[in-house]
Amino acid sequence: MTEEIKDIPIIIEERESKNAGASESYWQIVRKQFKKNKLAVWSLRIIMLFAIIALLSDFIANERPLMCTYQGNTYFPVFKGIAVDWGLGEWQDDFKNITWKDLEYESVIWPPVPYLPQNLDVLNSNSVSPMDDQEVESTRWKHWLGTDEIGRDVLSGMIHGTKTALLVGLISMGIAALIGILMGSLAGYFGDDKLKMTIASIILNVMALFFGIFYGFGNRSYTLGEAMAEGMGAVAVELVISFTIIIVLLLLANLFAKVLSNIPLLSKKVTIPLDIIISRLIEIMVSVPTLFLIISISATVEKPSVAIVMVIIGLTSWTGIARFMRAELLRIRRLEYVEAAKALGYNELRTIVKHAIPNALSPVLIAIAFGIAAAILIEATLSFIGIGMPAEEITWGSMLAMSRQTPSAWWLAIFPGLAIFITVTVYNLVGEGLTDAIDPKQKK
Amino acid sequence: MLKYIITRLLIFIPTLVAISLLTFIISINTPGDPVDSMLNQSSNTGQSSDKLASEQAYIEQRAKLGLDKPLFYFSITNATYSDTLYRVHKKSHRETLEKLSFKYGDWPQIANYYSLIKKFENQLFLLNVSDDLAEDYRKLKEFTNSLYTTADEKTATTIISNIDFIVNGDKEFIPVRPNFTALQKAIISIVQNQSPHQHYIPKFIWYGFDNQYHNWISDFIVGDFGISYKDKRPVSSVLWDALQWTVLLSTLSIILAYLVAIPLGIKTAVDKGSKTEKSITATLFMLYSLPNFWIATLLIIFLCGGDYLDLFPPAFSLGKLPESAPFWDRFFDTTHRLVLPVFCLTYASFAFISRQMRGGMLNVIEQDFIRTARAKGLKENTVIWKHALRNSLIPIITLFANVFPLAISGSFVIEFIFSIPGVGKLTLEALTARNYPIVYTVLMFTAILTLIGNLVADLLYAFVDPRISFSSGKK
Repeated sequence: MTEEIKDIPIIIEERESKNAGASESYWQIVRKQFKKNKLAVWSLRIIMLFAIIALLSDFIANERPLMCTYQGNTYFPVFKGIAVDWGLGEWQDDFKNITWKDLEYESVIWPPVPYLPQNLDVLNSNSVSPMDDQEVESTRWKHWLGTDEIGRDVLSGMIHGTKTALLVGLISMGIAALIGILMGSLAGYFGDDKLKMTIASIILNVMALFFGIFYGFGNRSYTLGEAMAEGMGAVAVELVISFTIIIVLLLLANLFAKVLSNIPLLSKKVTIPLDIIISRLIEIMVSVPTLFLIISISATVEKPSVAIVMVIIGLTSWTGIARFMRAELLRIRRLEYVEAAKALGYNELRTIVKHAIPNALSPVLIAIAFGIAAAILIEATLSFIGIGMPAEEITWGSMLAMSRQTPSAWWLAIFPGLAIFITVTVYNLVGEGLTDAIDPKQKK
Repeated sequence: MLKYIITRLLIFIPTLVAISLLTFIISINTPGDPVDSMLNQSSNTGQSSDKLASEQAYIEQRAKLGLDKPLFYFSITNATYSDTLYRVHKKSHRETLEKLSFKYGDWPQIANYYSLIKKFENQLFLLNVSDDLAEDYRKLKEFTNSLYTTADEKTATTIISNIDFIVNGDKEFIPVRPNFTALQKAIISIVQNQSPHQHYIPKFIWYGFDNQYHNWISDFIVGDFGISYKDKRPVSSVLWDALQWTVLLSTLSIILAYLVAIPLGIKTAVDKGSKTEKSITATLFMLYSLPNFWIATLLIIFLCGGDYLDLFPPAFSLGKLPESAPFWDRFFDTTHRLVLPVFCLTYASFAFISRQMRGGMLNVIEQDFIRTARAKGLKENTVIWKHALRNSLIPIITLFANVFPLAISGSFVIEFIFSIPGVGKLTLEALTARNYPIVYTVLMFTAILTLIGNLVADLLYAFVDPRISFSSGKK
């Protein structure tokens, strides 16, 4: 008898390890299937290319030389500029308030595009076409994609716009994925019947949440507002402090709840229908028209900024991911191996985290790929209609909007639009490729 | 079935309350003062030059808009917050006072300080000053006014010392000196007797039912959506005018999209693998990813006058033809102007719908009953159109849920680009002009229509697929 019981866990362990093997080979299958789809593979390469352009945008298009020898000394002004932007250095007096182009260097290496998007080339203002003769010293200084009304280089704007587009896509979807995975797993894992709390812990948690929000946000609203004016770094620090306050209070509440649960009256357990609560929340979120909501919220922001747009897109687009996650977890919870592990007294949470969530993540990946495409499109739309994005920020959408004022400048309409189109398409193609690769019907 | 519909309708209520709260929260956090923005429109009447009159106008306008009420039924705040703060008229003053009381923790003193500034300012305005002091007098008024929006001790002290310098600089300012000394004393006493720890104590204030949210939502329910700040017309009438264009535009594009998309989706599904199918599918994918505001911009640049072709009028610009013009002339003129916007609205959605249709059809075609139907010797057309179609419509129906909200707000960007006076353009203009009653009404309506759309989609599901039943719980 005892021997038999000993045997079972071994079988289960074997099963689990087989399962682990299967989940590995599952990803291998996905990769193999994905690689079969040439279009998707090429799209992924284009995304990587764009990512490289975005990362190196300061080195590809910049008003400062990459390297120069000036009055006997060698400088690396692009690097220096980045260091100064990060607060790690300061310009020496020679280089303060100068036009880099006009300095007389002994030797100099310029970036491929020697302009920043906001540089005004007065000689080539009023939208000079790439085909026309430009007022430049040599082809080195040519505006390959023309200029806009006030003489800003279009190619440089395109290159730096890549950074904004990809950042918006990645960060907003990162936020959405974080919220969506958390909400979806909570709803799917606990369902309507599995979250049982004692009355003491419910009361204490609600109180902790109330005081957490009160001290973390209500009482710090002015501090947070000041940080908002200071910049993203300050906001991040203040938010961390606020959330720490909430988390500490919640931890304290749960500690107390443990103690108080010894009192018979407070130790009664109540089931919390978490699935219903989260599903209702998702339903509410879905019935709000996202683009409209984003536009209205960004219109209420006093000082528009890209960061706020990212956060708003992230906060409004997590529902799809949460739905996928919830459905997958509900399905997986009923699967044999999870049930078996539970029956044998394995920690269910551990089983779920270790085996179920990785499996559930694959549909989430598809949602993220399509979501990035949608987020980039929303950002472009916002810049295009001029709501929510700062006016001085040069993005693909804002350049496209400029073409509305100068209809004769076809280059202002074609190139930024093409960039938006290609980016959206490649992300959609990758999403498509992932769907094909992950869809079990196609698996052979 | 009926029970299901009733449960769904009951769920509407909390959802709508949540959405209305969301809308309301957005509305009260909007920067700028709605009363000011409404008065600025009529400031050319010349009344605003008189300070007292303009203040009176402000108070009246605020009462007219119902903004002199507390915001909500209750408020959870800190102990320094006064439950009478909402009675202060100016939004910017309220904000300053809130911050001051948060910082120094003693509302009665802050209130006293505020009334002393007012007293001092009023007396200042009654003062008659000789011409050579005009510059000082103007500065004095400016400094005093800036006190209203200063919640920071250092800045306030600087301003006070500036005022001090002017007030004690000339004999003509003697009458205002006693009030100014009182003001100075008040500020010192606030700083000396501060109790900033007060704001760590939470406080609950109950305002009762006569509040802004309650009035707004109960008006909304009976169909009174408020008054547009811009032209002072009722929102419902402004919205109705715009709605006609949007509905026309959306209906046309939706019908066209479905007309093209369904046959195309079926065709590509049936001919799966053929060369034409592959190219059609690829084109559809491209169309689906093409941002329609880009295409619209390109079309305007290349087809609407400008330097290239001149096939269509450059802007929508309605009403070029007088009402008296023959109906058919007006009809053709409008149609001519609608071609491009409808095209732009249609192509993306038709690409999307046909892709869904194709997916649904492919799923069905591989199933056994289709094979059976073919084996029975039914004609291919009968198999496809009679047996497969009904079952492949399910994914299309989900999309149908979007039709309702789309009909109101779907054409934002297109209306903006082609300047069609529809709901989208109206809303965008309202947003930039901070004309919020319109924004909230549109937001609420779109949400309601989305809810209805989802319900209709669920019901249609059951209609198309008899296997789905609602009686045995949801899932």
